[in-house]
Amino acid sequence: MLTFLIRSLEAAMIFTFAGLGELVDQRAGILNVGLEGIMLFGATLGFIAAKTTGNYLLGFLVGIGIGALLGLLHGFFSITLGVDQVVSGMGIWIFGFGMTTYIGNPYTGPLGLDQIPAIFGVSPFVYLAVIMVVLVWFVLSKTGLGLKIRSVGERPGVAAVSGVSVTRIRYMSVIFGGMMSGFAGAVYALYYNPVWNYNFLMGWGFISLALVFFSMWNSYLLFGGAVLFGLLWQLALNPQMFFPGLASRYIWRMVPFMMTILVLTLISSKWFRSRWGATKPEALGLPYHKE
Amino acid sequence: MTNAKTRGETIELHGDIWKHIQPGEVVLDAQGITKRYPGGVLANDHIDFKVKAGEIHAILGENGAGKTTLMSILFGLLQPDEGEIYIRGLKVRFRSPEDAIKMGIGMVHQHRKLIPAHSVLENILLGHPRSKGVMKLKEAEEEVAALAKRYGFEIDIRAKVWQLTEGEKQVVEIVKALYRGAKILILDEPTSALTPLETDRLLESIESMTQDALGVVPFITHKLPVVLAISDEVTILRRGRVVDRLKTAEATEQILAQKMVGRPVIFDLQKQPVEPGEPVIQVENLSARNNKGVMALNQVSFTVREGEILGIAGVAGNGQHELAEALFGLRPIEGGRILFLRRDITRASVQERWKLGMGYTPSERTEVGSIPDFSLIENVAMNYYFDARFNHRGLLDYGGLRRLTEQIIDEFDVATPGPDVNIRTLSGGNLQKVILGRVLSRHPKLVIANLPAQGLDVGATEFVQRQLLAAREQKAAVILISEDLDEILSLSDWIAPMYEGEMVDIIPAAEAKKEVIGAMIAGVHQQERES
Repeated sequence: MLTFLIRSLEAAMIFTFAGLGELVDQRAGILNVGLEGIMLFGATLGFIAAKTTGNYLLGFLVGIGIGALLGLLHGFFSITLGVDQVVSGMGIWIFGFGMTTYIGNPYTGPLGLDQIPAIFGVSPFVYLAVIMVVLVWFVLSKTGLGLKIRSVGERPGVAAVSGVSVTRIRYMSVIFGGMMSGFAGAVYALYYNPVWNYNFLMGWGFISLALVFFSMWNSYLLFGGAVLFGLLWQLALNPQMFFPGLASRYIWRMVPFMMTILVLTLISSKWFRSRWGATKPEALGLPYHKE
Repeated sequence: MTNAKTRGETIELHGDIWKHIQPGEVVLDAQGITKRYPGGVLANDHIDFKVKAGEIHAILGENGAGKTTLMSILFGLLQPDEGEIYIRGLKVRFRSPEDAIKMGIGMVHQHRKLIPAHSVLENILLGHPRSKGVMKLKEAEEEVAALAKRYGFEIDIRAKVWQLTEGEKQVVEIVKALYRGAKILILDEPTSALTPLETDRLLESIESMTQDALGVVPFITHKLPVVLAISDEVTILRRGRVVDRLKTAEATEQILAQKMVGRPVIFDLQKQPVEPGEPVIQVENLSARNNKGVMALNQVSFTVREGEILGIAGVAGNGQHELAEALFGLRPIEGGRILFLRRDITRASVQERWKLGMGYTPSERTEVGSIPDFSLIENVAMNYYFDARFNHRGLLDYGGLRRLTEQIIDEFDVATPGPDVNIRTLSGGNLQKVILGRVLSRHPKLVIANLPAQGLDVGATEFVQRQLLAAREQKAAVILISEDLDEILSLSDWIAPMYEGEMVDIIPAAEAKKEVIGAMIAGVHQQERES
């Protein structure tokens, strides 16, 4: 039972890392649906780097680095070229899926390094995830940088006349999002499940993406959602443990997605909007062109 | 040297440049400002003007006179091809709004540059040096409150901007500019969205700013009385040139209009008496919600008869827009009944309403009123595609539509190279003439004109108003929605002031007084009734 809870928390921290990156990204108005692709790259290249050198740190750095590069790529497409952000993001996912399968195939098998030690029985990354949640909340709501990020995601034109460089803030955000996703992928492959095989990630990037909508762009809600999704995911791996004979694991695996659909339906309902106001960044997914 | 460091220095420099300022001294001196657009259009042709500390210097001109271009140049959004700008004798060059802001220029935009989802304080702090690093919200709040108090502004600093009225948003923009250290305040159409009461309050605040030796430069298109009330000096632009500059004390409304338009303008529209006929539309207890789901139209009832204009007066956001859309079937209603020619049309579709003889000219001319990348013919077809004269079993008669469009261009005096150009290329006034023309050419029994003259220059406004009067003379019923009380008073037979979704009263125009209606749309009556 305790292992079950700890594994759930460890899944939650990975959702949190990727989700926080995407949250900042979306608050700045950039939608990156290619999270899964960036996580695949971070996981695969991080895995290879750590396996060949035996150095964990290098593995994580490679994961963060490739994430930053892919974030930059998405930024170039969606900010500089102004192409449809969904198309660019899907491109990154498909590219990531194909490319990492090709690159990673020769390295199929376990990592073969000592497990990173736990602190008080829990992975150190769980603590890091909590710190990041507080940090992202603090930066977004208490600092000038956060105000700029939020403004650029709401009304880029207004931010521009107030002297904010929309392009710079959006690039910063999209690169940060990429780094967090790459890191999340590396944590997955170097800690959570240190074995490389075909399609090892199984949609974790998409769950993290769904989580951002679920969180209504609030980092604390995102963390709560991540814990919930982590529990559900763990349950989906082994539903017999709690509900013997009740639906297959494949049905259980859909539950986080179904919950997201429910939440999305709820927050876009008239009732919700008139009661809580619109929460979605107004300029999400819209390219900004100077007049 | 880092970027942040250079910025810090410029801010200090700006602090220096504004030291020991004397009232009456020239603070802004624009010399020979010239801007040519691709295609050779001279938007600004050697424009000179000076603004003194403590002076209100109005820039007056019609749409297309070059006001927007000049404003953009002063605020660093555009760079002039020729000419120089001096701030307290120092030659400056603005490459971006940020440069202009640092040199003490503040801009209050007509189309508000605020973020609705953020609080007032966050909007004021955006781009402000105080917001570097961790924002000092407490100190900022105190400073902003003190600044607002100094000039007599009342704002709720913690409210979200979407909760504010247009007038309050404008106050936020002004305070934002002042808080960033503006010494020269450019106001774009400062009173266009305000009630008479708000206008008076704004004028008082501006008055107190000039006592602090601020230079104020309002840019004005329509409201000539405001120019007279507010300014010390007026520079009048026409076709990109300065046609005259005069002391306001020496000017009258007639003189200003004539110089601005280039010909005498008759303010008296000479409304013909028309004997009202049968009721055209009868509305009973109509209610509807706005886009946020809040009740915005509450139990409104009225009747308009043939040959009558009902003027709906009110400040934006008091339910007029919802009323227009509900009447035309564009918005679901929450209750009530609409009778058109004694027939219940409450559930009728928009197309049925067109066919029955209703016509609508939307206020959002480029979003709802037209499809910018369609030709004039196709845009005219939008009100005719269902008409048996032009639709033969699904096949559109483009030849007939072309002749119709040419007729509209001719009758409504639309300036365009021809009916085939995209409607995007038309100026605001000409676009509105097409929109109005395609409705009036159907000879509708009821016209719902939603802000028909808003944003148009003096000439186009006069034209549009004459057309509405002509429709009335042909026995059409007209529902005129306007935020301009003068327009309401001069056109209407009946006046219905609206406040918070309710019709405060329906008054015969002959008995209406501007002050009374101004108080009604500001909710003064409401408060009296409640207390």
